[in-house]
Amino acid sequence: MMTEKAEPRIGVFVCHCGHNIAGVVDVAKVVESAKSLPHVVLSTDHMFMCSDAGQQLIKDRIKEQKLNRVVVASCSPRMHEPTFRRVVEDAGLNRYLFDQVNIREHVSWCHMRQPKEATDKAIDLVRMSVARAAELESLPIKSVSVTPRTLVVGGGIAGLRASLDIADRGFEAVLVERMPELGGHVRKWTHLFPADESGEQIIAPLVRQAEHHKLVRVMKDSEVVEFGGYIGNFTAKIKNHKTGMVKEVDVGTVIVATGFEPFRPFGYYEYGQHPDIITLAELQEMTPRADLIRPSDGKKVKKLAFIGCVGSREAGKLGHEHCSRHCCSAVAKAAADLRDRVDEVVIMYQDIRTYGRGHEELHRLARSKLVIYSKFPKEKKPVVQIANGRIRITWYDVLSGDNLEYEPDLLVLASAMIPPADVAETSKMFSLTRSADGFFNPEHIKLAPLTTHTAGVMIAGAAQAAKNASESVVDASGAAAKAVGLMARGNVEIESTVSHVIPELCSSCHTCVTACPYGAIAMDTKKSPPVALVTEAKCKGCGTCAASCPSSAIIMYHSTDEQILTMVEAYLCPSTQTTGGVA
Amino acid sequence: MSTTTAESSPAVNWEPRIIAYCCNWCSYAGADLAGTSRIQYPPNARILRVNCTGRIDPEFILVALEMGADGVLVSGCHPGDCHYTSGNLKLRARWALMQKTIEQAGVDPRRVRLQWASASEAQIFADGVKELTEQVRKLGPIRSEWK
Repeated sequence: MMTEKAEPRIGVFVCHCGHNIAGVVDVAKVVESAKSLPHVVLSTDHMFMCSDAGQQLIKDRIKEQKLNRVVVASCSPRMHEPTFRRVVEDAGLNRYLFDQVNIREHVSWCHMRQPKEATDKAIDLVRMSVARAAELESLPIKSVSVTPRTLVVGGGIAGLRASLDIADRGFEAVLVERMPELGGHVRKWTHLFPADESGEQIIAPLVRQAEHHKLVRVMKDSEVVEFGGYIGNFTAKIKNHKTGMVKEVDVGTVIVATGFEPFRPFGYYEYGQHPDIITLAELQEMTPRADLIRPSDGKKVKKLAFIGCVGSREAGKLGHEHCSRHCCSAVAKAAADLRDRVDEVVIMYQDIRTYGRGHEELHRLARSKLVIYSKFPKEKKPVVQIANGRIRITWYDVLSGDNLEYEPDLLVLASAMIPPADVAETSKMFSLTRSADGFFNPEHIKLAPLTTHTAGVMIAGAAQAAKNASESVVDASGAAAKAVGLMARGNVEIESTVSHVIPELCSSCHTCVTACPYGAIAMDTKKSPPVALVTEAKCKGCGTCAASCPSSAIIMYHSTDEQILTMVEAYLCPSTQTTGGVA
Repeated sequence: MSTTTAESSPAVNWEPRIIAYCCNWCSYAGADLAGTSRIQYPPNARILRVNCTGRIDPEFILVALEMGADGVLVSGCHPGDCHYTSGNLKLRARWALMQKTIEQAGVDPRRVRLQWASASEAQIFADGVKELTEQVRKLGPIRSEWK
């Protein structure tokens, strides 16, 4: 697998990241200290190593100095490892001969007031990385074909848009929805801001198109029950709840658009204690009619009240710290619309964030219709009491400095968007991580908001974060483009970081066979005695087998025992060599 | 087991040296988030990235201690949340045995710490480094312990 090892010639490139690293870490010192390390032929710095100029610098130096290993000390490899791998590859080096040192997230940003210690740490980390670099080996670049079909999980507005975008570009989409009907939450809503259309009006054409599109296979009443494989080559088992039938589909890419659920705010503002205290979602789902009526007795609502940020923006409360983003505008829209049918509308809010296109206009419209906005302090929320069947709200109005009270006929709580109850299972099924708000983590919050750390699996819509329908549609088209990009290319490079059994060392103990979470190791019965054999296509590179092999017969490529332990040694017992390099 | 601390001979200017093995998907990302969130914690740990805590051979910990690490931190995904389904459980299964081994070698098992910190739990990650650093500081340099 590997070529014979040439004498390592390592180049070290230290990034300032503007002021981000250099503002804390003494970059010059890091550069200088690296010069004396074994095998280092060059050590230099640049303001932004990821910039075109920085990348060119690396390429030029590789050629000039005949570097065969590259170490870049900059940000997290989770951010720019792919970038720098591409750079060294452009200069003719195998991508696995690159190593990145994280001196930003792990050093300058978390030791901001300790420049000396931060610099020492950066020097240590670079030394460790250089030691590892010397042990790195080229690995073959493997590419696999991509099945031209996308699995779209969730038939709400995001899943529908994504499926149609994919199908319109000539690829198949398998759209799985667990409810009997497509359309998700949007379908149920009477009004969608900022336009003046009902959810049904918005979603019906999409549903119709999806159901009639030749390339969209709609599977309703169905759920993904099993999922496996790797980018380009996934297999999903989809079960129909009604028929009990399980179908297996092969797909190349996946879009998870499993959406959100409206928080049911028990414990807040007497929710659940009175039929006339409802959530915004419940208001949206009331049957449209000329009058607004009370759920309790069917009488016409004269005084209507809203409370904002219910279960959102609560610092320190897990899963409720985020802003749910849609509510301010949705409340403004609902209030403006309903103001024509009731005598009075009061909105109690913490802050108003009508940030999107056309949203501020709704806010203004509501105010122009004399909807009353009253700001309450974050630390002193309104108090709702129920006495003799009446709802009574008391609160402190920040702007007037007065304590106010109000007895509405109907109280609407703008409750948070939270992940669906079974989000944990979904996250496990597709190996997705979640952020503190419970929604799925994108690969990168700014640079890769729709892809995930599971290659080939995209996220779209409210599965990714609380957001409104138009934003979900933007996501969906983006995720569809990502999926189509992969499928149109037809093949994709995959990681070569798999494990390998050295047959001569294997003692046939089966430990690795049971350790592997993917069933990627089996006994090769063609050998006598049978020895363990890794099916590379199934291996995901966790290295659990290598750690558990009692005979040390398993090499985990790119994460070998030597590559790891040499870093430990470089930190704790650095070599005394001071005349670094082979130059 | 020797639980004596280094009170008798406090090393001059000694700073705990800690090796932190972090899995790529949860804790390394959690450490990244700690940085992005500008959470400040002691600069004593050197993070080594492994794909999964399941990759961590007990030998990696023993060798680190032997080479003079005053403490070793292993940080991975929460049980049930492993990017590779169950690698972290395999590590957990090895952990008790590893602790016994170092104890028998005379090393205080409080020098090693296993924690779960997800990609969003930056504070848990940072607190873990802080607590282990403080713990190890109390215990003193590792050289005082090896039999």
